Amino acid sequence: MPPSIHPVDLIIALREKHLTPAIVFLTSRRACDEAMQAFDHSHILLPPSRQQAIATVLEKVIAQYPSIAEHPLIPTVQRIGVAAHHAGHLPSWKIAVEELMRHGCLDAVFATTTLAAGVDFPARTVIITQSSIRKSRDFMDLTIGEVQQIAGRAGRRGKDLVGFAIVTPSPYIDLNVLTKGFTGHPEAINSQFLISYPMVLNLLKAHPLDQIQPILAKSFAQFQLNQRAEVLERKLDDLRDQMEPFGPRVCTDWITEWQTFDQVRRQKSHRAPVRRHEPPEVAARFHFLTPGRVVGFARGRGVVLRQYRSKGQKSPMITALRQGGGITESPASTVTEVSDRILDCVDAPVYPWCTPESVEELLQHLEELPTRLPELPILIPKDNEPIPDAVVQTLGDFACPTCPSRSACQRDYPLASKLRQEQHRHLKSIQALRTSLWHRFQEKIDVLQQFGYLTPTAHLTEDGEWARLIRIDHSLLITELLRADAFNGADPAMLAAVMSSIAHDDDRPGAFPRVSSGLASLLGQVRKLAASLSPHEDPPLLRADIAAVTERWIGDPSLTWIGLCKNTTMAEGDIYRLLARTLEFLSQLHTLKGTHPGLADSASRAIAALRRGVLEELP
Amino acid sequence: MTTEELEQLLVQQPIALLHRLARGRVQRHFRAGKRRLIEVLLRHSAENRAGFESDLLTLIGERQTRPAPPPQQTPAARKPKPSAPPRRAPHKPVEPESQEPAITLSSWLEGLGVPPSKTFVPDAWQDDAIAKLREGDVVVSVPTGSGKTYVAVEAARRAIAENRTVIYTSPLKALSNTKYTEFSKIFGADQVGILTGDRRDNGQAPLLIMTTEILRNLLYDAGGGEIDVRLDTLGLVILDESQYIADPERGVVWEETIIFCPSQARLLLLSASIGNPHDIAEWLTSIRPTPCHLIRHSTRTVPLRAGYLHPNGKLTPLFRTVGIPHGHPGHLHPEAKRLFLQYEDETLPSGRRR
Ligand SMILES: Nc1ncnc2c1ncn2[C@@H]1O[C@H](COP(=O)(O)OP(=O)(O)OP(=O)(O)O)[C@@H](O)[C@H]1O
Ligand SMILES: [Mg+2]
Repeated sequence: MPPSIHPVDLIIALREKHLTPAIVFLTSRRACDEAMQAFDHSHILLPPSRQQAIATVLEKVIAQYPSIAEHPLIPTVQRIGVAAHHAGHLPSWKIAVEELMRHGCLDAVFATTTLAAGVDFPARTVIITQSSIRKSRDFMDLTIGEVQQIAGRAGRRGKDLVGFAIVTPSPYIDLNVLTKGFTGHPEAINSQFLISYPMVLNLLKAHPLDQIQPILAKSFAQFQLNQRAEVLERKLDDLRDQMEPFGPRVCTDWITEWQTFDQVRRQKSHRAPVRRHEPPEVAARFHFLTPGRVVGFARGRGVVLRQYRSKGQKSPMITALRQGGGITESPASTVTEVSDRILDCVDAPVYPWCTPESVEELLQHLEELPTRLPELPILIPKDNEPIPDAVVQTLGDFACPTCPSRSACQRDYPLASKLRQEQHRHLKSIQALRTSLWHRFQEKIDVLQQFGYLTPTAHLTEDGEWARLIRIDHSLLITELLRADAFNGADPAMLAAVMSSIAHDDDRPGAFPRVSSGLASLLGQVRKLAASLSPHEDPPLLRADIAAVTERWIGDPSLTWIGLCKNTTMAEGDIYRLLARTLEFLSQLHTLKGTHPGLADSASRAIAALRRGVLEELP
Repeated sequence: MTTEELEQLLVQQPIALLHRLARGRVQRHFRAGKRRLIEVLLRHSAENRAGFESDLLTLIGERQTRPAPPPQQTPAARKPKPSAPPRRAPHKPVEPESQEPAITLSSWLEGLGVPPSKTFVPDAWQDDAIAKLREGDVVVSVPTGSGKTYVAVEAARRAIAENRTVIYTSPLKALSNTKYTEFSKIFGADQVGILTGDRRDNGQAPLLIMTTEILRNLLYDAGGGEIDVRLDTLGLVILDESQYIADPERGVVWEETIIFCPSQARLLLLSASIGNPHDIAEWLTSIRPTPCHLIRHSTRTVPLRAGYLHPNGKLTPLFRTVGIPHGHPGHLHPEAKRLFLQYEDETLPSGRRR
């Protein structure tokens, strides 16, 4: 049996059951193209009337977008009534396919999941062949929301009484992901509030520094952080109740008093008091690495089962249950991420420090956790000093040994101090939740001050005034390039070429034309600068082959679209997207005409040269 | 278990089980073929052999407790078949399983067809959404294909009639282009404009289409003092596909747009079904001058059915019921379950038969 159904058989089966028109979601563009090729030797042939209907619709689309007149897929589409639709195609071709589908001319479209969002592209049936999709270079299970968006394309209002979402397996499919997706509630969505340099500059342009915090407070990010803080505040109320019996005694702050006394007693009994030299962030985090806490390691996630200090060095250690079932003991410093999630775990006095059932449950929960968890914002204190020797010397000054409430203190101390620690932890978390956005904003301010875009009082400098107009990815690199006068003397083609190598973030390999020597050396400079900025901004890929495509297109006005495509192995749709994004970047440079007239002029000439042929067809 | 025994046991398992075992242990395990996967798993198992073995045994146990396929089918499922099974096996009645009988294919397919054409009558939620915009902002979270565009169009029509500017944003340029064509047909070409980074087509029209980033930039410019006069007359901002607010890279643009949206303009957020639309509505209420109304429902207008199509061409319902059993992912149709188990047993990534 083949690992998945043959595309021709699939279409025959769907037609026979009257389940057309259908959208067949496949894992990759290649799979879509191969599915189309599978029809080359099939006997499927549409009746002449339907072929004519397709031709009529296509004629109309071609009149508007001449670039697709010669599209190599037209004969196949007309013959079999099936088409492919994916990001490798030109937008105009995708519009043609959408139009054909809307007119009911097609029986099926092979598509990638990019089609799932928004495009009005309905069908009677949706065929699902996968349970995961490629996201930022890795495969991830589809979320419930995604499954429902994909399946939801089935059943057209006014044209269908019912819609059908049909799973047909291919290797690696996980049916559970899909059945959960069909039957479940979509996930809650979370804010992804990235603070960028242009955001900081534009906010500070419009508002003085002391008004920024209230503005950040209006974000959905802060709204959700507040929700989490409120949960903690309720816990804090509970703790306050539990602390009731441990109020002031002979001394007001008996817990601290007893703690210090107890600690000093112990320190004194050691000949050499242990000094802990641990980085403040490890120390700050260690409080939170309590049993049940979900944490991230360099590889995979885990749940903390126990925290302890190692015998010799007294360094902070944790025992953790790792994804996949491993139980590891490792220094607390190996934890890379402390999530705001605590799983229930029943502790036990011996290894693995919780009950076997609990281990099972934790593992189960670990697997089921969403891929992204809110991180616990942790404030890192500046000082975390051990008790000064002076205090140790004055042990005699403690009243505890003879105090009437000594036995009560000794008895209650473990619980009281545990509760109080928890209180402190929550208080710190709440404080961090309330201020984390502001801190992140301030970090960006620091960098912008360091580079001279902001004054020490957080006003825009002369450079900041124009830099705020660059509101695209890699804005710091671009503005630094301008300050370094990197484009002085660069012609429009070279300027556009560099912009496209900054704009392009796809690492799909391919073979491309060579760059001119001028461009090669300019790209070398850009790379160097990008590397030096890497602590403050992730460097772009800066691919020379990508730059070369743009340089060719602008440098040679007689080059046709087909000619350009022949020069590279990139898909048409990718070249189009590359040039469209380059246009976007160039148009931002064009806004700098007040301060950088030469550059703006070069940018607008590049835009004019770039916008021709296919790139002129759509706004 | 010796390493050899362990390897033996792994070899005997279907690839799907190996992938399940590899989750969280092996990165990018989807890419690996069976041999490679076993190799990597063995190497990995050294880290925590006991845990690994117990996981493996649990997974094998789980498989065995699943209902066994009917006896006469078992040999076929276990052994390589001499030839591909007949593409369209004669339809056999499905064995009823335990409690309630599972649905048959024919009743699953029943009702398929084209509804009689009706004059357009807006749904109650659509009218409601448009009405509520009079009082304040509105968040609409309804399933895909429900008719959110109608709400956008009618709301825009009203605002235009009151001489207000309307901005419609979408996350994708492709979608903007489609809507440009669609709205131009509805309102007339002179009433609709589109803005991109370097082009303004009919930028003086009362209804402007752009990506959310472009609107955010306009709002930045307004904040910096370069007021595009038209923002003064802005009456309505429609953010389509606003579930994009959770996009890891671009989500922040939706937040900025909403935060800086002029207070005299109404906001209309159109979103696919999400888990917490009330959070969005509550958030808007907390930062905007007027309260925000949430319009939400989760029933699909055109009911959806789920099916399973075996690679040999056999079609069966996916669930025991005609419709989708919400909240019961386990209510699989016995036939679908049997066929899928068979699939897992037989498929190797290379496409060879075992
Ligand atoms: N009240 C109605 N009665 C009948 N048909 C309707 C009604 N409202 C909308 N439709 C039709 O439903 C179809 C889908 O509408 P629309 O594209 O607006 O859905 P949507 O909610 O925006 O979906 P998506 O999530 O895909 O963006 C359109 O063809 C539209 O004409
Ligand atoms: Mg829509």
